[in-house]
Amino acid sequence: MSLLHLTHLSKDFRLKGSAFGKPLVLRALDDITLTIHKGETLALVGESGCGKSTLGWIVAGLHKATSGQMQVNGQTAQTGKARARQIQIVFQDPFGSLNPTMTVGALITEPILLHDLAPRAAIPARLDSLLSLVGLRPEIGRRYPHELSGGQRQRVALARALAVEPELIVCDEAVSALDVSVQAQIANLLQEIQAKTGVALLFISHGLSLVRHISHRVAVMYLGRIVEEGPTEQVFASPRHPYTRALIAATLEPLPAASRPRMKLTGEVPSPLAPPSGCTFRTRCPQAQAICATDKPPHDAKPHAVACWRSDDLPAFVPTTLTPPARMLAALQLYRAAAARRATEDTLT
Amino acid sequence: MSDTLTLPRRPRRLPPRLRRNPMAALALGLLLAIALAAIFAPLLTSFDPYETALRQRLQGPGNGHLLGTDSQGRDMLTRLLYGARTTLMIGCAGTAFGALLGGSIGLCAAFYRKLDGVLMRLVDVLLSFPSILFGLSLAAILGPGLDSLILAVGLSVMPGIARISRGAALSVMTQDYIESGRAIGLPDHRLLTRYLLANAYPPILTYTTLAFGDAILLAATLGFLGLGLQPPTAELGGIAAEGRAFLFIAPHVSTAASLLIFAIVLSFNLLGDALRDAGDRRAQ
Repeated sequence: MSLLHLTHLSKDFRLKGSAFGKPLVLRALDDITLTIHKGETLALVGESGCGKSTLGWIVAGLHKATSGQMQVNGQTAQTGKARARQIQIVFQDPFGSLNPTMTVGALITEPILLHDLAPRAAIPARLDSLLSLVGLRPEIGRRYPHELSGGQRQRVALARALAVEPELIVCDEAVSALDVSVQAQIANLLQEIQAKTGVALLFISHGLSLVRHISHRVAVMYLGRIVEEGPTEQVFASPRHPYTRALIAATLEPLPAASRPRMKLTGEVPSPLAPPSGCTFRTRCPQAQAICATDKPPHDAKPHAVACWRSDDLPAFVPTTLTPPARMLAALQLYRAAAARRATEDTLT
Repeated sequence: MSDTLTLPRRPRRLPPRLRRNPMAALALGLLLAIALAAIFAPLLTSFDPYETALRQRLQGPGNGHLLGTDSQGRDMLTRLLYGARTTLMIGCAGTAFGALLGGSIGLCAAFYRKLDGVLMRLVDVLLSFPSILFGLSLAAILGPGLDSLILAVGLSVMPGIARISRGAALSVMTQDYIESGRAIGLPDHRLLTRYLLANAYPPILTYTTLAFGDAILLAATLGFLGLGLQPPTAELGGIAAEGRAFLFIAPHVSTAASLLIFAIVLSFNLLGDALRDAGDRRAQ
């Protein structure tokens, strides 16, 4: 069942140009078609400025699309309070996304009161259950955000999003600002919550390692377009777009002996004010040919879709081999066990 | 987002901060004393501020009149207390009116970006009038009286407060928590009060305290120029003006009134400065 369906969605930002001449138009999203199913995690990856956050904000109702349709549960998406009940968002910076003048308890109960989701007498109990759902002790409810650590704040933001029992939570780089160990905790927490509540996640990220771990499907964006989309396993095992390959090649595995496919991109992301003709990636693509400069590559309609003229002619992909020596594996296992133990202790204290 | 730009996370209670700044404590004490004396004037003095006694006119301090008498033989201390009452009232009402209007304009300009241009140009127009000229023309149009005085004082402190509010609100608007409030579906009025105002108010409060001093000064100036409340109403600016004619034979009349104005305005400025310093320290 599809929960969210975007068709041919585009977003233009009008920038102030000079006083004379036409205003500059920045095309942040170009013809996005995307589906999120109930209870799944879709990861949206790409470099900074590729439009992934803009897409997340449009889905959460914080921006308006310039053109295209958005459907939730088969019906045209609602706006305002009705949308807020269905779709919530968790922001990147846990230090800026919580109102500093409100206590944690007030922050989490605010949406419950606003949407009238529980009788007043039941609110303290609801607060406690939300806090425990995100792994926080009830006393935290009386604290102010500035008294909490980054990971704790992100848990609070998550509890606030969960308070309305949404069907989809947009995680806009929700773990990127955290320490690596805390990132893993929050990612695990997201998976646990998904298992408990069946909420779908739109997981926006610029790093691939976590995405591989937590998402069911991946969509790769470049300069406002989705260039490849498919089940996580397939995309990582046999990426069909040169850009996806470059992204995977740029991921560092925390294994000293791992060999990874070498592919370096040269040049910069072109300005979205003047995107290249045809395929926008062609200026940095090692496989580019004449047709790439003239026509936009179409999306093929397969479950593992790609928008690339050359996808069938790419050389075979050699995935990262994860075969460290046995002794190192044993050491790693010990270390991970210790880290996991510490992580649970941290959460409890 | 750099730390220097973020506003104080949680406002502390001010008194302990002020106690650490002796000048501010002094100013606050002086202001409280003047305000209380003005409010309880009828209890503090047995004289009537309007009953004339021409035989006792222009007497120096002493002889049962602590600060002497004015040109109509009225007790100066009583006149000053009642005068402070009027002047403080005009200053309070004017500043409150200006802060309410200016604060709303500033917050709305920052919150509704489309209104920004219109609202701030409006404020700029008001800002371009010297406040004395503004008061003069308002008094000329509406006729001298309490209403036009309060309106003139309010409108002349309003533009500054509007600009400060807009600036403070703009820096709060860049924070994610505004969007997070929007994302849970909060209506605009809640965002404006509990999210925007609750986080942007410290600089606005500081500036308003400073504006208080200006407001008092403007009220007294208009009174001095004869555009305030008409005699025999006791008003500090008016008392200073009355005494001007007898400056060489009875300097105490103008001097006492002027000193009281000076003390009030100075106290407000010291207090405002202290509030600003306290704000800076919190931001660090």
